[in-house]
Amino acid sequence: MADRDAFTYFRPLIHTSWGSLALLALSAAGAAWYFFGAFYLQFFHGHQLTGQGTHGAMWGSMVANIVQLIGVSHVGIAISATVRILKLRRYQQLARVAELVTLVSLTAAVCNIAGDVGRPDRFLTNVIKNGNYTGPFVWSASVITNYLVGSCVYLYLAMRRDIYLCSCVLPRRRWLYRILSLGYTDTPEERENHERTVWWCAVIILPIMVSVHSVYGWVFGLNSGRPGWFNPFQAPYFVLGAIVTGFSGVIVITALVRRVYKWEEFFPNRMFKGLGIFLGFVTLLYLYFLFSEVLTGVYTAPEAERGVLHDLLFGRFATIAWAATVGGMVVPFFILFVQGANPRICSMRVVVAAALPIFIAMWCWRYLITVPSFFHSHVPYRLAEYAPTLFDWSLVVATYSFGVFFYLSLVKLLPVLEIPEKFKPACPARPPRITLGERRRWGALKRVSIGATLATGAGLIAAGIASRHRVEIPAPAIWISGIVCLWTIPLQACLLPGFPSAGRVRAHMARMEPGLLRAPRPAATAVGLTECAASPATIEYWIDEQFGASRGIRRRPEIRGIG
Amino acid sequence: MPRWGMVIDLDRCTGCQACSIACRTENNVPACGDRNAWKGRAIFWNKVVAVRMDGHGETAHGPHGAAAAHSRPRFRFLPMPCMHCERPPCTMVCPVRATTKNVEGIVMQVPSRCIGCRLCQAACPYSRRYFNWQEVSFPGDLGQALNPDVALRTLGVIEKCTFCIHRFQKVREQARAEDREIREGEYVTACVQACPARARTFGDLDNPSHAVAKLAQSPRAFRLLHELGTGPQVVYLHEGSWQDDSGLPVRDLLSKEKEDHG
Repeated sequence: MADRDAFTYFRPLIHTSWGSLALLALSAAGAAWYFFGAFYLQFFHGHQLTGQGTHGAMWGSMVANIVQLIGVSHVGIAISATVRILKLRRYQQLARVAELVTLVSLTAAVCNIAGDVGRPDRFLTNVIKNGNYTGPFVWSASVITNYLVGSCVYLYLAMRRDIYLCSCVLPRRRWLYRILSLGYTDTPEERENHERTVWWCAVIILPIMVSVHSVYGWVFGLNSGRPGWFNPFQAPYFVLGAIVTGFSGVIVITALVRRVYKWEEFFPNRMFKGLGIFLGFVTLLYLYFLFSEVLTGVYTAPEAERGVLHDLLFGRFATIAWAATVGGMVVPFFILFVQGANPRICSMRVVVAAALPIFIAMWCWRYLITVPSFFHSHVPYRLAEYAPTLFDWSLVVATYSFGVFFYLSLVKLLPVLEIPEKFKPACPARPPRITLGERRRWGALKRVSIGATLATGAGLIAAGIASRHRVEIPAPAIWISGIVCLWTIPLQACLLPGFPSAGRVRAHMARMEPGLLRAPRPAATAVGLTECAASPATIEYWIDEQFGASRGIRRRPEIRGIG
Repeated sequence: MPRWGMVIDLDRCTGCQACSIACRTENNVPACGDRNAWKGRAIFWNKVVAVRMDGHGETAHGPHGAAAAHSRPRFRFLPMPCMHCERPPCTMVCPVRATTKNVEGIVMQVPSRCIGCRLCQAACPYSRRYFNWQEVSFPGDLGQALNPDVALRTLGVIEKCTFCIHRFQKVREQARAEDREIREGEYVTACVQACPARARTFGDLDNPSHAVAKLAQSPRAFRLLHELGTGPQVVYLHEGSWQDDSGLPVRDLLSKEKEDHG
């Protein structure tokens, strides 16, 4: 039945099991602990609650966590953009899951940064107001803002049609989805316009994604006084590490989503096999990078550099380093290699069994990049040993708890899967009645508006860069405003009615395509989807069949009696 | 414009730590307690590091512990204020301009602007910056002896040696009022004033009449970790360019010593 097929896509929005509610409550408690611990306790009692110290490790587990989360955020949009640019149909449904991972992990990373600094109350205002253009932290603020805003715009535009379809199938929340879809009516012209804009967004976002993690490489790699960090190799090393981390993270999360919502048809084993092959490849590449770094560090490196590497290979960090490398990279690589090479093996579980240790190993390597350097200071202070305290670990766990809470909330609020074009609402919303003359005026206005935004954005960025030396001018605020301004262009391109080309007008008029010249149907009140305008099936029947009351699944009141 | 700098004669230094105490008192440096001290959180704007030169382990706290373990220990004391580098890495990485190099060559810190990200701490190769890991406290009578010229720093910000900038400001105003240049010896830091062995000399490195400028040109002069290119404005003096009997330069000795200590 058409509706049954269609409603499979909206499963998390329709059903909430007791298990989901329990997980939501548990993760909300974890998130609350994070904000209480990181912002209240640390703000009023200081970072003495952590294991860090000036003559010891001044950065610790939280910084490792930040780098890890930034890495995870990397790959979400990368997967989505690659799928869109290369038109990889098999991975199409992975895109949204991955985009949401980006949004969640980037938010969690920013929360971690705010919690790790000594004065979170001044964190954003001072960086924007008094930003020093030579500071990698300011670069980081600029690229993260760019990436976050760009990701949100990209995610929204890619999801707008599905949000509109939600407004057709979920009457209780129709008001919300109507607001969120901002007047989308799913005309062929709109679809084409969105596809084109989102494609360009994907093209632009890919290099931005590389910039984000490169900056984190430079946060470490530009410090000439830190053995083990000062390395021109850091930026590409971090980008590759982010790809490994992100792919392993996305594989694990996608497997969980598939398991929980029974979406085997959208995330088939073949897809995991492909992801596993790629993860195996980048893991091998990471091992190669690692070997290259170690060889350089132990061969004829300066004393302090050699000390760091010696500590990693044979000293106090050797246990973690070897366990992470062998157990978390070499062994998983062989698992992934075997599953990739053997056509008889096509299993999600095998890929997840390799991806999970890789994810943990990457966290360990983030830790091993951050901490050992502090024990090889150029001046021989008596150094305090560092081990993350219970408080440190609780914050790390609570960060992931916050991530689970945020992700689950998004999954319960937004459509996770892309609804294929063959599904159309049985009673679509009426497009606004605009005459051709009005449309032309709107089109002209749109062009002027986009041009003005482009000029303003570019001007603000240029003005910010030009005034970077002047202390009294908040230069980062100016160029960040410019970046945000530029990101409104794709929104304008999709939200404002366009200026139809002469050819398109003729084509539409010839086909008498509704939506361009006049409203085709009366105002939508009904709900339900149908495949190629076939008559909708009763949703209640479908719900009963799929999720019987015997399984303890609550049925939302809004779907009763729809048919 | 003067370029303030310091020369420290290591052959004169006895390791008495009078400079450290004078600095703490002058600049209202807070106490941190035993537990935090063991975690490496004690704040010393001016720290005297005891470096064992025979390669048998380190005693940054002092020679007593290691002296018992080895028969003929040889120590050298390395007093370490902020180096006030000519090209300071800390000011480069600070995201909020909380640390800047002023026109007199002093690397300043503005605690009220600092966000506590500790990037400057990580960037400083001399580890001369301190984070306030705990609430500021002055136990006992210390709270009654605070210097009113120096503001207290809050929890969660970085602090560091400022070459007693408040003294400079007073002297500068006095000199301006009298319409004259600052005289040699008129502006000195607390550590220089307190040193009983007269191991420290302070003045304008660009003024050839100042003792500090002459000493900085001495064949005994060297700059710590000069190969990093930071250009420290604190110059050390030592006979034989701080070389041990082993013939190793100081940096290798320091590394070796640190490695032995583990």
